[in-house]
Amino acid sequence: MEAQPGIAIRRALVYVGLTLAAIVVLFPFFWMVITAVKEPGHAFTAEVLPRHPTLDNFRRVLSDFGFGRYFLNSVIVATTAAFFATLFASLAGYVFAKKKFFGRDKLFGFLLASLMIPGMMYVVPQFAIINAFGWMNTYRAMIVPHLANVFGLFLMRQYMMTIPSELLEAAKIDGAGEWQVFRTIMVPLSIPIIATLFLLTFQFHWNNFLWQLIVTNVERLYTVPVGLALFRSQHEQSYTLIMAGSCISVLPIAALFFFAQRYFIEGMTMGALKG
Amino acid sequence: MRSRRGSESGRQDRAETPEPKRSPRFGRSRVHDSLTAYTFLAPFVVIFGVFLAYPVFYSLYLALHRVPTDSFDVFGGLVFVGLSNFAKLMADQKFWWSVLMTLYYAALIIPTGIAASLALALLLHNRLKWVAVFRSAFFMPYVLDMLVIGIVWTLIYSPHVGILVRILETVGITAFSEKGFLGMPGSAMPAVVFANVLKGAGFGMILYLSAIQNIPRSLYEAAEIDGASGWQRFRAITLPLVKPITLFMVIIGTISALNAFVEVYAMTSGGPNVDVGGRALGATWVTGYYVFDTFYTQFKLGYAAAMSYVLLALTLIISLVNRRFLRSEV
Repeated sequence: MEAQPGIAIRRALVYVGLTLAAIVVLFPFFWMVITAVKEPGHAFTAEVLPRHPTLDNFRRVLSDFGFGRYFLNSVIVATTAAFFATLFASLAGYVFAKKKFFGRDKLFGFLLASLMIPGMMYVVPQFAIINAFGWMNTYRAMIVPHLANVFGLFLMRQYMMTIPSELLEAAKIDGAGEWQVFRTIMVPLSIPIIATLFLLTFQFHWNNFLWQLIVTNVERLYTVPVGLALFRSQHEQSYTLIMAGSCISVLPIAALFFFAQRYFIEGMTMGALKG
Repeated sequence: MRSRRGSESGRQDRAETPEPKRSPRFGRSRVHDSLTAYTFLAPFVVIFGVFLAYPVFYSLYLALHRVPTDSFDVFGGLVFVGLSNFAKLMADQKFWWSVLMTLYYAALIIPTGIAASLALALLLHNRLKWVAVFRSAFFMPYVLDMLVIGIVWTLIYSPHVGILVRILETVGITAFSEKGFLGMPGSAMPAVVFANVLKGAGFGMILYLSAIQNIPRSLYEAAEIDGASGWQRFRAITLPLVKPITLFMVIIGTISALNAFVEVYAMTSGGPNVDVGGRALGATWVTGYYVFDTFYTQFKLGYAAAMSYVLLALTLIISLVNRRFLRSEV
């Protein structure tokens, strides 16, 4: 509708705006990486590109300061938790989407209502429960309390409702049991949402710092964020090492996001756009 | 809500079609269906019950008790103290200060978060090359760990030698050089908010973007013919039509502000102190951090539980008010 030059100027302005915004938003990550490859003691030099970049900081945090172990712990906790949280949410999502049973809608409403409760509310009683179970300093303690993912259940149910019930009926007529129907029809047809939920729960558990801090106090069980926070409190000035640890901490999620961003973006915003 | 329904994708529309007619065998299979349903539900519901439903009540029980000093025996050693934790809380200056700081934090982060998200969405709502790349770049920090991002910002915000004070020194601003952004009461909270807004804006951006993309072009074209300026079109068309997203952003913004903890833990530990009527109180001492400090550092489980109950009440009240207030305007 406007004249050509107007459009060109507008376009240029939009690019400038986008580029500036990207620089501001990504600067912390840029600075984290840059600081991590600086030589020890050079953390605060203003060089944008370090003259003598080194990977020594990474080697030191991994071998001398236990980040290798922390990384392994994070992988174990996040993978196991993501697997079971996704499994439980899909089992429950299936029946909420496809079964009629006594109290279904009331139960679903009750589950959803819990999303309004601030997470801080749970920290104290959950800790007391873990203590009573004698689970302190175990992987179980880090994993089990978060396996009922209500948001994930909601995503699963919404998705599974779109799978035609005729398919399930047909399988049943062919003699398939409930479990078989779930395994051979629901799961294969729900792969996109299963992948999404797996990624989201993996991400949640990878970043679940507060809870992991509370239920562990032995170094061999620290996850990366917990190890990083405690490392920082002991080596406050070793910023090159702290930043190397930070890189290690965000790298897996950043990589997952790079390859599967569609799943992350859709999964995280789906609830909001449909709720 | 009307316009939000308009933004739903095709998949959702299909989800709302009624389920197929009952099969003739329905009556007989009903009991069987219920049994299978409960079996499939069991793992989820058991964990929900033990770790999410029961704790809400158990927390109230804890709030009415006190853990004797120096005891890790949470269950054996509890002493019933009635409502005294709540009474103490009502008289606890540090607590009311934390509520005030939480509200201050919310008052800063909700509007700036919304403005940043909306601005990014408007920038992306252009048919340009690279838009998808920018979109990913803006969203990425949202999936990364707040703890790490907070730690990186403490480095950026550092006094004397931090990169930000150095950049500002080159243009003659030295006000922050001595103590750094996180070391001064006036700038600490805005600095925490700034770091957090940059991390979180990508989420709201996606919501606003999909809402904006659902606004019919014909509305803008009609307004243009009537001679409305770009700003007028934004005020009269875009803003009212993305209102459901704004409402949602205010509600979840409130919940997450009342929950704020990791950002404070990573950047300021509740400080720096300010002198309020002779008492030293932290300029970023939000309630979430006070709960953590009470329970993790001082091990006062009952008191922390009481505090988190008041936090829950506040959350529910504020969410309700938000809903009423904003919905009436939609």
